[in-house]
Amino acid sequence: MMKKIQVIGYPLFFVVMALLPAVLDSRWLVVATTFVIFTIVALSQDVILGKAGMFNMGQALFFGLGAYTTAILNSVYGWPMLATLPVAIIIPALFGIVLAGPIIHLRGDYLLVVTIGFNIVFIQAVQNNLGGVTGGPNGIFGLEMLQIPGMGAFQEAAPYYAALFVLLLTLFIIRNLESSKAGRALHYLREDDLAAGSIGINTRVYKIFAFGVGAGIAGMAGTVFANQYSAVSPEAFNFLQSVLFFSIVIVGGSSVPGILLGVFVMFVLPEIFREFATWRYFIFGFAMIFTMILRPRGLWPAKFGRIPKAFLEKGGNHGQQ
Amino acid sequence: MASNDLVLTNVTKRFGGLVAVDDLSFTVQQGQIYGLIGPNGAGKTTVFNCITGIHPCEEGSVLWCGEEIRLLPTHKIVQMGIVRTFQTIRLFGQMSVAENVMSGRHIKSSQSWWNGIIHTPSSKRDETANWQVVFEMLDFFDLTEFAASTVSSLPYGIQRRVEMARAMAVEPKLLILDEPAAGLNDNETQTLIETIYRIRDKGITILLIEHDMDLVMEVTEYLTVINFGSKIAEGNPGEIQENPAVIEAYLGSEDDDF
Ligand SMILES: Nc1ncnc2c1ncn2[C@@H]1O[C@H](COP(=O)(O)OP(=O)(O)O)[C@@H](O)[C@H]1O
Ligand SMILES: [Mg+2]
Repeated sequence: MMKKIQVIGYPLFFVVMALLPAVLDSRWLVVATTFVIFTIVALSQDVILGKAGMFNMGQALFFGLGAYTTAILNSVYGWPMLATLPVAIIIPALFGIVLAGPIIHLRGDYLLVVTIGFNIVFIQAVQNNLGGVTGGPNGIFGLEMLQIPGMGAFQEAAPYYAALFVLLLTLFIIRNLESSKAGRALHYLREDDLAAGSIGINTRVYKIFAFGVGAGIAGMAGTVFANQYSAVSPEAFNFLQSVLFFSIVIVGGSSVPGILLGVFVMFVLPEIFREFATWRYFIFGFAMIFTMILRPRGLWPAKFGRIPKAFLEKGGNHGQQ
Repeated sequence: MASNDLVLTNVTKRFGGLVAVDDLSFTVQQGQIYGLIGPNGAGKTTVFNCITGIHPCEEGSVLWCGEEIRLLPTHKIVQMGIVRTFQTIRLFGQMSVAENVMSGRHIKSSQSWWNGIIHTPSSKRDETANWQVVFEMLDFFDLTEFAASTVSSLPYGIQRRVEMARAMAVEPKLLILDEPAAGLNDNETQTLIETIYRIRDKGITILLIEHDMDLVMEVTEYLTVINFGSKIAEGNPGEIQENPAVIEAYLGSEDDDF
């Protein structure tokens, strides 16, 4: 049953998403693009928070770092948008690795406070125009947007498709992670750090790995975000954004459908109820309160027991392939 | 001294003012089934924690295969072939039995960290080969029917078996078991005894702590008895049962297991 939903679920999701710009006006296209980008960032946060179980409250820092890397390379050095992407992955990933090194031994609540600190330092740095390239409180404007050849009149939807492509890439990485030694190691150390060490897992290395991967994916989302607005500014990456990404993973649950649901509840629903002005953020608050009481592991929690079919089907006479 | 022995020499471990392990020395020889017994709170688990690097001891030496492992981190000690189970079972509760056992394959897997992002034909082969070993291990421990079950939903006796299967998946040279029969019924204990022999027959050295004296006297070949962190006796099961200091320690501790 569940398997069937997944087999048709993903292609169906992408077909619907690919056709969406045909029916959306420009305001809703912006919402849809942001939905896709936030989903990528939430998936990257899930690697650190959901899979590895580390209370990282500074994911917007890596998202911003990617966006600023792209913006600076494009505006100051004239690099084409697409060429900035690899750098916007590598720089946040390196930052993730370097920042995680001294802090991953910290217990949950301490780690949370430290990562908030990192996020605040980052915002202060860009607001104060660090190195004279970040544009201060106003950020950086007038980036050259990614053109998709042959789209003609549909060019307005180009940022949306760029984001969708990056989402596809992210899901590919997440899928690979789930069926690899490194990805499983993250689950093991989240479940029981000491037990993971006692069967030979170097928990320190894999915690840093989680930060590296999570930061790299968030950086990639940063590039498509800078591309969407052809601008970057500090407030899009402040601590409150980190709270949003943290809450999405907690409310949605540590699974792809969970993350999609989380972004929908925490970001799209408030947009739908925009006419109720700031009251719409009630949804945000209530979603957090009620899921934690009623579904503490999120709306759609992680599912385990994904054993390769070849082995499961054999049942008793194990794995004679 | 054969090279694959575990040699503890004058090991002392303190927690604040408490001397949990006091100047303890013993040698586990390759291929032995060795028992470490003593009343509750005698310091047995602490000895295991010293050997496995969870609580490194401040004084003394722990030699394994001729190398000093006293200050090595836990995961390095595992890579050298020493794997343990816990007195209070420590499994990955939300995950399935097969995934738990698969964790034991971590250090045997040839995948690099970047295979977590991109698979290659060789990483896929490695993945399949390791699942294969997992299912052989499940078969060895008669756990195949539970492969996809969530571990925390299973009865105690099965969880103990899963923990041993996970440890065995690492292909250890020395298997350390902390009270493997705790919480098991008579049938399960009997199966455990057979399992211990089958593991030994694979050439694996076994060091175990056990409260169940019948089990200890039946399976172990050599024993060290500790009380208040220090050794009060050592010998084969026959000698230990006759030893007045041992009888005294167990009677004195109101421990009616003996
Ligand atoms: N992590 C620890 N911190 C402080 N004291 C400990 C710790 N672990 C064990 N102890 C103490 O060391 C002594 C020996 O405990 P333990 O090794 O668990 O005994 P046993 O396994 O023989 O029942 C006990 O007094 C216990 O309270
Ligand atoms: Mg104990």
